Amino acid sequence: MTDSKIIDQLKKNQMLELLKEGKRIDGRNFDEVRELSIDIDVIPKAEGSARARLGDTEVVAGVKVQPERPFPDTGDQGMLICTAEILPIAHSSVETGPPQPPVVELARVTDRGIRESKMLDMKQLVLEKNKSVIGVFCDNAVTDHDGNLFDACSYATTAAINSCKIPKYEMQDDAPVKIENEFNAPPISTLPVSVTMAKIGDYIIVDPNLDEWSIMDARITITTNSDGNVVALQKGGHDGFTQEELIKCAEISVKAGSKIREIIKQSSSGED
Amino acid sequence: MGGRDTDIVLLDENGIRSDGRKINETRKVSIKAGVLKNANGSAYIEFGENKILVGVYGPRDVHPKHLSDTDTGILRCRYHMAPFSVGERKNPAPSRREVEISKVIKEALQPAVMLKQFPRTAVDVFMEVLQADGGTRCAALTGASVALADAGIPMRDLVAGCAAGKAADTIILDVNNEEDQAGQADLPIGYMPNLEKITLLQLDGILTPDEYKKCIEIGIDGCKQVYEIQKKALQEKYFAKSDDE
Amino acid sequence: MNNDKKRHVIPGEVIVSGPYRAEQNTVMEGDKILATTIGLSDIHDGSVKVIPLSGGYYPKDDDLVIGKIISHSAMSWEVDINSCYSGMLPATDVFGRDFSSSSDDLTSKLDKGDLIVTRIVNSDKTRDPLLTISGRELGKIDSGELVYISPSKVARLIGKRGSMIQMIESGTNAQITIGQNGLVVVSCEDSDGLLKAIKAIDLVEEKAHVANLTDQISEMLNVKSD
Repeated sequence: MTDSKIIDQLKKNQMLELLKEGKRIDGRNFDEVRELSIDIDVIPKAEGSARARLGDTEVVAGVKVQPERPFPDTGDQGMLICTAEILPIAHSSVETGPPQPPVVELARVTDRGIRESKMLDMKQLVLEKNKSVIGVFCDNAVTDHDGNLFDACSYATTAAINSCKIPKYEMQDDAPVKIENEFNAPPISTLPVSVTMAKIGDYIIVDPNLDEWSIMDARITITTNSDGNVVALQKGGHDGFTQEELIKCAEISVKAGSKIREIIKQSSSGED
Repeated sequence: MGGRDTDIVLLDENGIRSDGRKINETRKVSIKAGVLKNANGSAYIEFGENKILVGVYGPRDVHPKHLSDTDTGILRCRYHMAPFSVGERKNPAPSRREVEISKVIKEALQPAVMLKQFPRTAVDVFMEVLQADGGTRCAALTGASVALADAGIPMRDLVAGCAAGKAADTIILDVNNEEDQAGQADLPIGYMPNLEKITLLQLDGILTPDEYKKCIEIGIDGCKQVYEIQKKALQEKYFAKSDDE
Repeated sequence: MNNDKKRHVIPGEVIVSGPYRAEQNTVMEGDKILATTIGLSDIHDGSVKVIPLSGGYYPKDDDLVIGKIISHSAMSWEVDINSCYSGMLPATDVFGRDFSSSSDDLTSKLDKGDLIVTRIVNSDKTRDPLLTISGRELGKIDSGELVYISPSKVARLIGKRGSMIQMIESGTNAQITIGQNGLVVVSCEDSDGLLKAIKAIDLVEEKAHVANLTDQISEMLNVKSD
């Protein structure tokens, strides 16, 4: 296909007609998330990894842990950086080169979801205050794009960090040295999970696929933590939400989020 | 390139290598064709501990137009390593090494692909290294050939990749990461098995003319073994359900 | 010399050596004829070809295809025909020879996203294939459901002298338009008929190579096959 971003009129009309009847093009209910499967440890050489399949969207997240110099103003905390990249294999419209605004947004929203939820207790990732800390990097690579990359990256990242191993280090002559084959579990305090909803006309649907993504008027991504509290928000798209809609979205997010949290927990419990 | 001091025994007194292999044995290779939903063709390859995902799009429009060729389709290749694919996290931006390998792989595939019937278009090959353990360029090239066939791009032959090398003064087949770091030579090869032509060849290290000859011989043999796995991957996807008539 | 034994081949495999003509999806290297795509080799009357199992649609003159409007210039529409080349539909084809870019607005007739049944007029490789929608069965598609099949399965879906498609249409009361480029539009007043027709098309896509496909489809439609 030369340009598959433009949705054909027949399909668009079909989708709008179905919405009026309370249906979606793939048969889901408005508040239904696609089939989600998460496999951890898919990149054994990394310190943590997970592959999330949300319908036909697929993301691989890899966690690398290595000693770093702390940021000047937070010498008593470890470092956490999450990124995301849409690989050119994921869709015909993906261009190589410096990240475009949608990809930058995806990366930053993914990062904020983890950071603001305080998933990792950064104070426990210090080797020597102000000198050497543990840096945790989670990089997401989108390998197949069928819409809603925000949630796929959120689930892959949470699962990867939740199941990662933090190597043990000891300070020798002011430098951190890795102790081979000795690891700690990561200091996890909560499992953040995002839920993205699209607004098409007056209808709100959860986990839009690529077809729905291409006709939506607005979207909102709401990240909640294990306590059911809202920890991150991102609204996008060219239209707006009413107050009532936003409250409803938060309720949906807490409910759908807790189900997904169980799937993430189960993906780790299968391991040692 | 290697020669570093190491505690690892590259070759023991029984001729067994650090990962249990014999000197003329390749690592375990497995390939699955057609693994991605959106790409026109795709392949996932595990070559030892290497894990590489390849996607092909095309023939398709070239943007900007001035890059296209009015007489033939063009081949573009991108070899890229995920930040989590290597020991120390890699910056996502393309490195010079990736740029060079992309070019070398493109030139290894170019003699095989037939793009004259698609003027003004491009065939894009994207190779993503998800986990690296030495010999990624040969593994990526191997996966790329399968992905191109899966996409229906006409080819005169597949191209199979495998490296030969030297470690502990011995010529070995299929150099892994440890052997690359601590060994004496690494010679990656790309080979078209039916046309019997070498289309990728590089060397890191020092070889006598005789060692060079042996490396090429043993490397071609390795490529032929890898070719059988490529064939199997395509047969499994396309020919498994129906019988050979 | 007729050797009708078909073989599964992959690119680079030798099909035969000797005095044969190398036809579609094959290439001659020395005295050997090699396959250039994955498919079924076919030797007939001294010529060798491969029926491909993968690959996209390649535009040919007179082919009926279904296209999607993706953009337009002052004088023409650019049409996605599921191929490596976009099709070009000139404004004069729709507005007539008196077309004037200053007074006639292209989007009033066809806009981004619209689907059309169109015929390829001229697919010369030096420029994009030329299209027309002037013709009885051609024009904008206003309703129906779009299904994609691999272009290599189109012949199977049509069947010998249209037998397969006629069987599906009569068994479901659907109207089905098949583009050589793999796009198929299905319309049916009855939603059950629509679903059945689409299911039948999916079955052809999945089992095109299976010998008793026709029986399987007729069973599925509860229609007696001749």
